[in-house]
Amino acid sequence: MSSPELAVDEQAVLDDLTRMIAIVLEDIGPLDAEITPDTTFRDDLDLESIDLVALGGLLGEQYGDRVNFAEFVADLDLEEIIALTVGDLVDYVLASLRAED
Amino acid sequence: MAYVAANGIRMHVQRMPAKGSAADGPRPRVVFIHGVGTDSLASFYLTLAAPAANAGIEVISYDLRGHGRSDRPPTGYTVADAVDDLAALLAELGVAGPVHLVGNSFGGTVAFSFAHRFPDRVASLVAIESEPATRSWSRKIADRLDEGAEKLVQAEVLSWIHDHHGSHMSRLGKAFGQVLATTSITRDVPRGPLLSGADLAAISCPVLAIFGAESHVVDVAETLPDLLPGCQVEVIPGYEHGVLMQAPHEVRDLVLPWILRHEPVEIR
Repeated sequence: MSSPELAVDEQAVLDDLTRMIAIVLEDIGPLDAEITPDTTFRDDLDLESIDLVALGGLLGEQYGDRVNFAEFVADLDLEEIIALTVGDLVDYVLASLRAED
Repeated sequence: MAYVAANGIRMHVQRMPAKGSAADGPRPRVVFIHGVGTDSLASFYLTLAAPAANAGIEVISYDLRGHGRSDRPPTGYTVADAVDDLAALLAELGVAGPVHLVGNSFGGTVAFSFAHRFPDRVASLVAIESEPATRSWSRKIADRLDEGAEKLVQAEVLSWIHDHHGSHMSRLGKAFGQVLATTSITRDVPRGPLLSGADLAAISCPVLAIFGAESHVVDVAETLPDLLPGCQVEVIPGYEHGVLMQAPHEVRDLVLPWILRHEPVEIR
């Protein structure tokens, strides 16, 4: 699914994530807050665990197997998952994409 | 997202292929079954799924009907219905050979009943904070579902959950209150059908039962070996009913070696 000239800068990944979050939350309604790297999935966006699974699926579709969200979260403990921010995920995506360059 | 039509409903399924070389031969296959209520396949996706795939085990996880992103039909919530759903899902996925079942709470109850109905299709069974659908289980789950149905629609109860457990738990509780109010789940689940002592004694696959030492169901750790001679019981100190999410590494270190050890070598 990934294109050869995949953008790997921070803003591009943040834009991708913002779009994916909107898809995951489309049943709940439009986002009323701007998404920044400090936005937390749990407290700010009110994402349920099952919404994170959906987000993981979208990440795989966008970036391919290199970005394995399930593997990323399996290394975190419960408190870290609850405290997860959009910026944490941007960092993980960038690190995963750059690891294969 | 992956949806599969099975047994008349749309089920949300997440699969992960086993890592490693296909030349190594057939891979163990695990099916994760989550619990009833505020649970979903996320409990396994966030904890055991990726480590299992990395250990060379193919992973299938799905949302039970009425839960997560699967359909929420008004009826069909007995344990037998859950067994039917799983059998239909595996048929749709083309999975014919034996699988390892790992169930959390009610998911373990479903696993025991599946193993009773399809003894040839279960390589091994891991039950986390679970017990089989016995008469005493039925009474306990009926009480808990009745309590939920009564309380999770009350604004003051949801407000209390919000104050003591946060907005997230309050939202999950409210959502499950709606499931209880709009489906036959409260009436269906305790009906089983229940398994007799002889039914349980006939379950022939290896069984591993895991409990948190501080859980409200830890007494089952004492009684289960009488019902299932030969089952292995592990009690993890310091954890409650949510031991899967609270202590994923401890649970993982028990479950993954267990699956690899109990993969039948000649079948498939």
